[in-house]
Amino acid sequence: MHKEAAIREPLILGHKTYHDITNDVCHPIEDKAPRMWYLLFTIAAIVGLYGVGNILYLLGTGIGTWGLNKTVGWAWDITNFVWWVGIGHAGTLISAVLLLFRQKWRMAINRSAEAMTIFAVFMAGLFPLIHMGRLWLAYWVLPLPNQFGSLWTNFNSPLLWDVFAISTYLSVSLVFWYIGLIPDFATLRDRVKNPLSKRMYSLLSFGWSGRAKNWNRFEIVSLVLAGIATPLVFSVHSIVSFDFATSVIPGWHTTIFPPYFVAGAVFSGFAMVQTLMLIMRKAFRLEAYIHTKHIEYMNIVIMVTGSIVGVAYLTELFVSWYSGVEYESYAFINRFSGPYAWAYWSMMTCNVFSPQLMWFKKLRRSMLFTFIISIVVNIGMWFERFVIIVTSIHRDYLPSSWSMFYPTPTDIGVYIGTIGLFSVFFLLFARFFPVLPIAELKTILKSSGESYKNAPDDHH
Amino acid sequence: MSMFENNKSIEKMNTNEAYFESRVDMSAPSLSVDEFLADEQTRESSTNRRDFLKFLGFSVAAATVAACEAPVTKAIPYVVKPEDITPGKANWYASNYYDGNTFASIMVKTREGRPIHIKGNTDFGFGGGGISPEIAASVLSLYDNERLKAPLISGSQSTWADLDKKVMDGLKNAGEITIVSNTIISPSTQMLIAAFSEKFGRVNHIQYDAVSYAAIRSANEKTFGLAAIPSYDFSKAKTIVSVGADFLNGWLLSNAYRVQYAKNRKPENGSMSKHYQFEANMSIAGANADERMMVKPSQYAAVLAALAEEIGASTLGVSSGEFKSNAQIKAAAKDLKANKGASLVVCGANDEALQMLTNSINNTLNNYTSTINIQDDVNLFKSEDAKMERFVSDAIAGKVKGAVIFMGTNPVYTHPKGKALGEALGKMNMTISTASWNDETASKCKYVAPDHHALESWNDFAPVRSFYALAQPTIKPIHDTAAAQESLLVWMGEATRAGRESRAYYDYIRKSWAANISGRLGADANFEEIWNLAVHNGMMEGPKAEAQAPTFNAPTQVKPAQATGSGTHEVVLYTKTSMGIGLQAGNPWLQEMADPISKITWDNYITMNYQEAKDAGYNVVMDQEHGASLAKITVNGVALELPVIPTPGQAKGTLGLALGYGRGENGEAIGRGAFKTKEYGGYEEKDGKRVAIGANAFKFVNFNGNYHYTGAASLSKIEGTYPIASTQFQLTAMGRTSIVKETTLDAYQNDDSTGYNLPHMLMTHHGPEPVSKFDLWASHPVEHIGHRWALSIDLNSCIGCGTCLIACQSENNVPVVGKDEVRRGREMAWLRIDRYYKSSDELAIGTKKEEFSFTALEKNIDENPTVVFMPMLCQHCNHAPCETVCPVAATTHSNEGLNQMTYNRCIGTRYCANNCPYKVRRFNWFNYPAYKKFTEINPSQDDLGRMVLNPDVTVRTRGVMEKCSMCVQRIQEGKLKAKVDARPVVDGDVTTACADACPTQAITMGDWNDTGSGVRKASEEKRAYQALEEIGVKPNIWYQTKVRNHSNEELRKHQQAVAAKRKHDIDKHAHNHAEGHNDHH
Repeated sequence: MHKEAAIREPLILGHKTYHDITNDVCHPIEDKAPRMWYLLFTIAAIVGLYGVGNILYLLGTGIGTWGLNKTVGWAWDITNFVWWVGIGHAGTLISAVLLLFRQKWRMAINRSAEAMTIFAVFMAGLFPLIHMGRLWLAYWVLPLPNQFGSLWTNFNSPLLWDVFAISTYLSVSLVFWYIGLIPDFATLRDRVKNPLSKRMYSLLSFGWSGRAKNWNRFEIVSLVLAGIATPLVFSVHSIVSFDFATSVIPGWHTTIFPPYFVAGAVFSGFAMVQTLMLIMRKAFRLEAYIHTKHIEYMNIVIMVTGSIVGVAYLTELFVSWYSGVEYESYAFINRFSGPYAWAYWSMMTCNVFSPQLMWFKKLRRSMLFTFIISIVVNIGMWFERFVIIVTSIHRDYLPSSWSMFYPTPTDIGVYIGTIGLFSVFFLLFARFFPVLPIAELKTILKSSGESYKNAPDDHH
Repeated sequence: MSMFENNKSIEKMNTNEAYFESRVDMSAPSLSVDEFLADEQTRESSTNRRDFLKFLGFSVAAATVAACEAPVTKAIPYVVKPEDITPGKANWYASNYYDGNTFASIMVKTREGRPIHIKGNTDFGFGGGGISPEIAASVLSLYDNERLKAPLISGSQSTWADLDKKVMDGLKNAGEITIVSNTIISPSTQMLIAAFSEKFGRVNHIQYDAVSYAAIRSANEKTFGLAAIPSYDFSKAKTIVSVGADFLNGWLLSNAYRVQYAKNRKPENGSMSKHYQFEANMSIAGANADERMMVKPSQYAAVLAALAEEIGASTLGVSSGEFKSNAQIKAAAKDLKANKGASLVVCGANDEALQMLTNSINNTLNNYTSTINIQDDVNLFKSEDAKMERFVSDAIAGKVKGAVIFMGTNPVYTHPKGKALGEALGKMNMTISTASWNDETASKCKYVAPDHHALESWNDFAPVRSFYALAQPTIKPIHDTAAAQESLLVWMGEATRAGRESRAYYDYIRKSWAANISGRLGADANFEEIWNLAVHNGMMEGPKAEAQAPTFNAPTQVKPAQATGSGTHEVVLYTKTSMGIGLQAGNPWLQEMADPISKITWDNYITMNYQEAKDAGYNVVMDQEHGASLAKITVNGVALELPVIPTPGQAKGTLGLALGYGRGENGEAIGRGAFKTKEYGGYEEKDGKRVAIGANAFKFVNFNGNYHYTGAASLSKIEGTYPIASTQFQLTAMGRTSIVKETTLDAYQNDDSTGYNLPHMLMTHHGPEPVSKFDLWASHPVEHIGHRWALSIDLNSCIGCGTCLIACQSENNVPVVGKDEVRRGREMAWLRIDRYYKSSDELAIGTKKEEFSFTALEKNIDENPTVVFMPMLCQHCNHAPCETVCPVAATTHSNEGLNQMTYNRCIGTRYCANNCPYKVRRFNWFNYPAYKKFTEINPSQDDLGRMVLNPDVTVRTRGVMEKCSMCVQRIQEGKLKAKVDARPVVDGDVTTACADACPTQAITMGDWNDTGSGVRKASEEKRAYQALEEIGVKPNIWYQTKVRNHSNEELRKHQQAVAAKRKHDIDKHAHNHAEGHNDHH
């Protein structure tokens, strides 16, 4: 059995038994939902429906209901897309990369992080669809057989690469997440009394019997999927960044983008995981499983990726000056001193300065501080995408076509709406799915559980 | 030399059959006249042409009437196909356009009997066939649904029979009959009015122009004894001095002057005219001037006097005051003296004293035998200001008792006392108007006998003494209208109505030509031949009087009229190139055309000195959301509230304000485009009436012997801002070196072109290499095989007039989107004209003084900046950034070098537009042909307005990208024509609408792979460059460096240094390379 040094902080606090773990995770599903859940769900649903309404208005009337213009062809739509994709990065990183690196602390957070990933990718995928002038022809981006016409897609277009990258990422993440859920669904199937629920969980658990063969295959599939998912973590956001990096627009045309986007994505993804975890551990009384140590680990990731992002920002500035290209230089001078300087400095404050506070141990172990920073980081990352997209194109080569972007209520409505929809999905997940991986947690109880860890060996 | 070099005399025509044939081919290949003229038998007959027109008219009327009542959803083939209408094939007709203010010879393109496009008649037309945006857009006004559809009596629809009866009774019993008309340049109409006067015996005919040039006539009468406006020839002038005359836009026959001016602005020809402009507003002429000086209108007299002093002409007692020995005036005078007999001084003030002073200067410069021909005088602008003023006063005082007929004039709108006049007219019971719209004056008249649109009517014109033009109908009257002249004939009892078939005025014109005109065109000419030729060519030219210097009788003392009233500022009223005097204010194409200087659409506004506005707290930074400050401007006690636009180059202490706006102030039905619309469609309304766009500046015109368009004004800021729909907010080119290139004539003639047209080099292992040598991508085969369509745009010839913009819109069905959408930065224009002012941190536009002064470049615009106009359209890049990024390959490269848009395939990701370095792609944000927001302004939402659409070009749906196609439909047509003729496509077979429309021939289109083509040659000129060359997109568009004929030593030194450095770099590398090479061995 795996043995862990005593000086390491335990990952499961208190005197938990295997049964306690099962109970702690399953109770919220089996009990009546608290009033708070209904309240949150109602708010989320209203906001989500408002967003759907806005999307329908957009589709019915035209992209003109957004604030875009001849110069700024993308603004909040693609900002939101990149933002959500970025958020969607943490789940797979946590479940795949951290799995390969045998980071046991991931057990507490991977299930929700993966769920978050999937819902975030849903939200992300929405934007490239609705931002199209003619959504009803969206299937033309797929390389379909000739029955659909003799036209083939343009494999030179990074937007097409996006289609493949995002859809691959979504399917792999979804499968990975679901595979992990199967043993836990089986546990629920065995516990629930309501025949309908039983039937549902029975269906969802794919006839899991808990035999050694099941576990063996489960472990193998998880490892294989982790292997497949790992490169995707890096490819997705690299490819998203190609949308900009392969263009000719100063401020977009930057070779630094792929690593910088991936770091930014991990940065924002972890921040979103923090936000959700901190709420959930309180709501579901999971303090024993998600505690200071987990938060601290994640804060360290945020600090490191935040620093990478900060270095990237400074590198961009330096290169724009060093290149001697007047358009390039101006694009960056305009970023920090032009009409969108407020967005640039919001981004700098949120993404570069605020995570540096994590160097203080006291702060990075503070729940309240972490919660605030996690939100600040996501605000900052939204601004980062806005700054890259809008401040680059609003003033490009010909000063004659320089313009500004001002959002309309529809821009705002669609964005807020996706946050609502995301919350609806996440609340449903929290209500009906085991939010922690029961089976996986049990594997670390004896090595990293507080009561076992500090007990003398002969107790076994 | 003739002023109209393109024309040939009638004698030559009749003796030379070959010429006759070639003429037929050159102008209108498919005109039926071709056939019957070629046939001896039919040539004898005089009815064939009219039969043809009957056929034409009938089919058109049938189609039109059907289209008016219900949308046509099916294409129905002809049962009996009219002889000359081949579906899918355009017919071109020569005609002429005259609206009382502007005249031009035009070619009208019709498809299936519908006129859809107008261009200049460059083969035979007056003044080289130059047209203006207004004329190009007039084809849309033809289909304006608010045009009167039947006669009106007391505002309600009536019949001609009813109207004629009442009018005839009225006229019989009326005392005096007053005819108020615009200047009549139609010989037949003049004859008709004379006959009318004779018949009724008590007719008072007043010719009145909205913008009067009466002072030029009276000044010439006083100094030369000839009450005439002379013909000017700007092409012969080596030095041009204009004092307040925007001769490139609006001033007299500017359509012709544009053509003339540009002839002498091509530095390749070895010389270039030098143009000095002294003015208050930044006008189009001022923006093109080599030297410009800002002066107030009250200083024009002193400027002219100082000029006169310098060249030794009589100052007529006018004091040169502060301008005595002014350096700039001295320089201008020196040039004028050096070019005696080849110079031209013009003055824009409608002030007799100033015009006499101008005559004195021109006389001393011996210009009356070269650049000015007073013998071949202009027939336009015979405004009788004093007579009109008396009539208006009498009318207001209730002293006009008899009948009043308004023909082609709208004094209730254009006269400063129009409102009172309108009220007075309302009280009279025998008022008649022949307006086509129920306009400000017509709506006050008891009877309205609506005239045809110009494209529906026969007419004849003599714009100058020697030139006779014929206008022929290109469509049968759409509505139940009648030529105004026919109405007069009917009321005289000399004709009867025959509805749409009526030939009354046509017969009258023929009669008048037979009697008076054909004789002047050639003594022994056959009338039918002359007539048919005049119809075909649109004109006939008579013998022209040689210019003879008239005797100058200088009055000893003249007194310039001073601006009346007092105020903080002087206001200068001007006409915009789009709106003119507001005759087509209801035309959405013109309303949406960006003003060349301000780039503002759908509005009029006060232009004010930039610094002065800033100091006075007016908003100087504007964008989509931040509008202009509002101000109240008061002139002669009349106040208007308008936004203030800080304008670089506006003289301090002066304000500019455009005429032609505020049409339909009381909700008169003068056209769908003339009124403000709301954000989600529908008109803005006040007291149940639609709110007019802008305010009527004619109220500021003052009368002081003549009508004056300047005056004292006071300005006060009022609270609030006003949204501005501008297509360009940025003022400077930010010192960017590869967008606009500019140099001086000296440098162009004497220095190495590397200095001003530095090819971008990349440092390589082998030394600096031009960027054009590098290819990230495999080279496009099109670059050397087959056709490669290309354009060359000469920044020196482009005067910014904007005729190309309307031509493009008309040719390519570019949607109108309205003020709110333009404000949001969503105008759809495929072609735009970028305007850049010089910043004080630049040596010339596009040449920075020092590096890294970006923010300064944005803000420090010169007090009196130079201006460059840069037409910008799809550059048809051979390595197009848009093509690579489209996920569905909706935009691809044709094998003829075109970057083409497949609308059907487009899914609307807008990635291409983002990745376009020139930002020329336009997205269909809404369904413009159907969405309610555009109902009022987009002609394609109107059954009648839709008739103007070019059937060769798709109307785009929402959600797709569009952009300049280089008129691919014209390319296709040209290729097919060559194929039918079994010959290769030759230069000139294909041209774009913009190149075709350009009066200054700034745009050349052709096949670049054809080494003999004009565009190929232009691209090899030393002025040729490609915008943003260094990004390596390899456009098919070349620009020609702007050359200014002035001295800019700092710039020249800089450019010489650049050239020397480049030479040094290359030599140094060659040297190093050679050494390295030797070492290696």
